[in-house]
Amino acid sequence: MNTQPTHDPNPNSNPDDRLTRLLSDWRLETNLPPRFQEDVWKRIARAENAGAPSFLGQLWNVLDATFRRPVPAVAYVTVLVAIGLSVGMLRARETTSRLDHTLEARYLQSVDPYLQSR
Amino acid sequence: MRRSASILAAGLLLGVAAYICFYAAGTASHPAMSSGDVPETAWLKREFRLSDADFKRITELHAAYQPQCAEMCRRIDAKNAELEELLSKAATLTPEIELKLEEAGQLRVQCQKNMLRHFLEVSRSMPPEQGARYLAWVTEKTLLPDHKMHSQASVPESSHEHGPRQ
Repeated sequence: MNTQPTHDPNPNSNPDDRLTRLLSDWRLETNLPPRFQEDVWKRIARAENAGAPSFLGQLWNVLDATFRRPVPAVAYVTVLVAIGLSVGMLRARETTSRLDHTLEARYLQSVDPYLQSR
Repeated sequence: MRRSASILAAGLLLGVAAYICFYAAGTASHPAMSSGDVPETAWLKREFRLSDADFKRITELHAAYQPQCAEMCRRIDAKNAELEELLSKAATLTPEIELKLEEAGQLRVQCQKNMLRHFLEVSRSMPPEQGARYLAWVTEKTLLPDHKMHSQASVPESSHEHGPRQ
């Protein structure tokens, strides 16, 4: 790419006018490489993607913005505690039910010789 | 940023802590967890809502019955072994097999009498309503033939999914 503007005939003129004249006189004397325009757009797209936050980053930004307010923060903690309580209670009920079955069978085995000898 | 991370972590920790506390509290009082030597009789106490005095009497009855039960169990095993040996050798119904089957039947009757005697004693040591419920449940599970076929129909009022509690 060769840039050879013509010399300004009047060095005392306004810099803007001189720049305008220089740009208007500027001529490209070499051909652009193949697919130049397409490559430029690709580079622009890549640069834009590199700047965009990831999904996790976006999620974190949303959480950060949400937890800045007290009501959602308290609600979040309350919901997790409620889930913990409920699941703990249900699992305890399941466990005691299973233990009840086991102890019932053990009691029957302890009083019935035919269950013991099987 | 740090505040949000703290809230996120605190929520998770409190949720897990709530789970552990409720699970531990829900299972701690169970006989299998709290009772040492004979958890099945402790289960009986809880299942039939026995007082400490009733439970003590029933534990004594249970302990006194155990040697009889073990002896019966030994005799049943021996009789089964004898019968099995005869059956493995014979291709027809021999008089020896008939005799052994009769002996096994008599042993079963004797065993069932012992069991029923024990069950009646235990049920009498309970409050009347619980005693009746215990007797119905235990005889159905042990003495009545094919109890599994009509176990659902015979305890219709039970709200307890696995057994006798009402």
